[in-house]
Amino acid sequence: MPRISAHAACQDFHRASEASRRDVLTRRQMLKWGIGAGVTVYAAGALPTGHLLDAAAAEAAAAPDAPVLVSVFLPGGLDLLDTLMPMEQEGVLRDLRGAVAPAAPLALAGTSLGLHPALSRGPGGGLQGLFDRGQVGFLPGIDYANPNLSHFASRAFWETGMVSQQSVSGWLGRWLDRHGSADNPLQGLSAGYGLSPTLRAVKAPVASVSDAGDAQLGMWSVWGDWGDAAVRAYAALSQSTPQAAGPAAAARAARLAHTVSDRLAPLRKVKDGPDPLAGPVTYPEGNDTADRLQVLAGLLAQPLGIRVATVDGDGSFDTHEGQAATLERDLGAVGEALATFQADLQARGIADRVLTFVWSEFGRRPMANRSGGTDHGAGGIAWVQGPRAMSGILTDYPSLTDLDPEKNLKVTVDFRRVYSSLLGQWMGTDPVEVIPGAA
Amino acid sequence: MTRIGGWSQAHVRRVVWRAGFGATPHEAAKWAHRGRAATLRWLLTPNGHPAPLSGPKPMALDPVNEYGHDMLWWMDRMVRTTRPLEEKMVLLWHDHFATRDVDTPLMLRQNALLRRRALGSFPALLRAVMEDPALGTFLNLIGSYKDEPNENFARELMELFTLGEGNGYTEADVREAARALTGIVRGREAGGVLLTTRFDPKNHDSGVKRIFGHRGRFGPHDVLRLCVEHHAHAEFLVRKLWSFFVDEPLDRTTRLRLQRIYVRSGHRLKPVVGAILDHPALYAHLGGPTMVKAPAVAIAGMLRGTRLGVRTDDWVWVTGEMGQRLFSPPSVAGWEWGTAWMSSNGMRMRFVAANVALSQPGLKVEDGDTPVDLEPEQQLARALKAIGQPWLSPRARKGLLSLAKGYDAMAGQKWQRQVAADMTQRAMRHLLLSAPDAQLH
Repeated sequence: MPRISAHAACQDFHRASEASRRDVLTRRQMLKWGIGAGVTVYAAGALPTGHLLDAAAAEAAAAPDAPVLVSVFLPGGLDLLDTLMPMEQEGVLRDLRGAVAPAAPLALAGTSLGLHPALSRGPGGGLQGLFDRGQVGFLPGIDYANPNLSHFASRAFWETGMVSQQSVSGWLGRWLDRHGSADNPLQGLSAGYGLSPTLRAVKAPVASVSDAGDAQLGMWSVWGDWGDAAVRAYAALSQSTPQAAGPAAAARAARLAHTVSDRLAPLRKVKDGPDPLAGPVTYPEGNDTADRLQVLAGLLAQPLGIRVATVDGDGSFDTHEGQAATLERDLGAVGEALATFQADLQARGIADRVLTFVWSEFGRRPMANRSGGTDHGAGGIAWVQGPRAMSGILTDYPSLTDLDPEKNLKVTVDFRRVYSSLLGQWMGTDPVEVIPGAA
Repeated sequence: MTRIGGWSQAHVRRVVWRAGFGATPHEAAKWAHRGRAATLRWLLTPNGHPAPLSGPKPMALDPVNEYGHDMLWWMDRMVRTTRPLEEKMVLLWHDHFATRDVDTPLMLRQNALLRRRALGSFPALLRAVMEDPALGTFLNLIGSYKDEPNENFARELMELFTLGEGNGYTEADVREAARALTGIVRGREAGGVLLTTRFDPKNHDSGVKRIFGHRGRFGPHDVLRLCVEHHAHAEFLVRKLWSFFVDEPLDRTTRLRLQRIYVRSGHRLKPVVGAILDHPALYAHLGGPTMVKAPAVAIAGMLRGTRLGVRTDDWVWVTGEMGQRLFSPPSVAGWEWGTAWMSSNGMRMRFVAANVALSQPGLKVEDGDTPVDLEPEQQLARALKAIGQPWLSPRARKGLLSLAKGYDAMAGQKWQRQVAADMTQRAMRHLLLSAPDAQLH
């Protein structure tokens, strides 16, 4: 596959078709989306939310080779410096970190950076192996101007794609409101028990699935035709459209549960029969992130019209204490799960149409605290992975000697710039529909 | 106090759901008869002594050692408490001071502390929670030393416990408060369990700090005091309490009145909670409830209404997959309440919850249990009685009656009439527990 030369956000992601790539990656857009343009472009000119939500009629988008975007959230604020260590600044880093000794990093070929050793776990050398094979693009220094160090405020900004409290919909939910179907809840899928706020939509149906083989509504004690009639009665009871938010949400959730049950019925586990979703790759045991990604991979291989999906990584990256041990365990588990997921997609022959974006709500402070950990900071880390991802270090690495006035890392790329690239370059739609001020 | 026009069983059912886990038919009749003032007095009585429990006994529980039994133990209290508001407040505080990832004995001790102080003084509650080892462990307050303080607790103290995100404080305030909060270290232990914390001046930063514009050599208790006395605190707490009980908007006049009640009472909780429970907004739309039940509330309410009690550990995974694993909130911000519970999968799990309930002796319909030749109305009355007379919309009532008629028609041959009767009863009971109406209170 041709690769486009480095260092502009619009090149972060390749798109499936040559034609659309020519169309999208023009010189003009490279400049417009260029990372050098900085973080402040979003400070002004945001569109009012209402304008964004005036969605045109949604079009059904279930083409079998349509690109899929998977968002994986690592909760707590993952440390950039320990995950992707700047080896040229190692002396300064060790001074700042004191007792929180960074793990001995794995040198990343062709860069001056070292990857946390736990990220070599998993098939094919884990995330490091994926990087070596040109399938990972790291985004160090990602955040936004004047970062908010509250987990919940910052996470909400990333989920909604707006640095404000004004949006009720998530950025991928907004994309579905614009480009999704009106009747397929599986188009926006949270693999897990609850729905990710990233997928919250105003009108597009979306779903959460924790176990694809067990997503049916069935009454255990009412069987056969009686049971079918009872489930039909349940569906009928959910066909109301009350005004108040609570009753409307309950009726809608029942309708969605019923639709998901119907659509996944052919994939039901049959006793003693083969699992129709089973794949060729073995996932690690006792790894919740891996369990969720396995469910997702199985569903992505089916013609269900999934376009955007979310997975919450297991573990806590809020390493106020015991950072070394926590990262070794939790980052290792997440990395292993992600590498296995990628191998599974590859083996199922669908890797080319899936791009995975991994993110956390902020980074951590260069100076350690005395609990063997680090406090909330700015300038975190995210990455894109998949055969179509631009591989390499896609953003400027923040300096350890030129910190901001709060002694945090200086942010080098705004996450909304990356979202815009994902929407424009990967999903092939105009980012401004979803990200205010993106134009 | 504001007058509420009339007082009926519908009022009682509303307030006992919002301030508890639902009224049994007996409670609804009793408190409707005794009147508004007596009902609120009953709810607000908690006095710090453990409430007596009444109702169906639970299975054998070992909350410290058996997986999930901590949750079952608490759900049993929710099901059998004679002071529903007290138990509901414990749930509120568990969400407010959300703690996880610490040893079960610590979580249970914290839970007892939240119950003891459920409706007392907020500053006293805040102080007790800070000095208790559970949250101090979770948020790294224990072991935050001078020179390099850990900011975790200081930040959440302002953002989540007292003021609200970015509400009248700065990053500098967080850092200065973190300095003032240094010096809390591990205290007494017994059998490997940390029972207390203590203040160690050697590890405390005794220098001058500047917090919210005040200067002084502040220590941990000063920080709590400054937060509670901060101008943004009363509004923050009133909004939090209001939205826990009421889903109508909080108008400015009411808010200011509630803030006055809270501040003038010396930051006591009982008067302000009492005023909220007495407010007409809590009784809006009596004919059709509008708030989504949280998973733990839905399950505890179901086990209370059906009189099943906690008789299977299935409730651990069922409630967890509905989205609320007690003692393990998703983060220090607690759970997202309200319509956020209503995901497609969360709703499917509520359907599964009805399956589990209907397989329990006491609610299970065995073959031949149901008299044949009951009219649809009689079938419905029987099912409503079994479930504990839950609210049912006219639309759902019609749906259930028409299901019964459909089953009648399906039972073509005489031997099928018994099957149809039993199936009707099972399906009706299930839908009374699983359909959208059942998720609202």
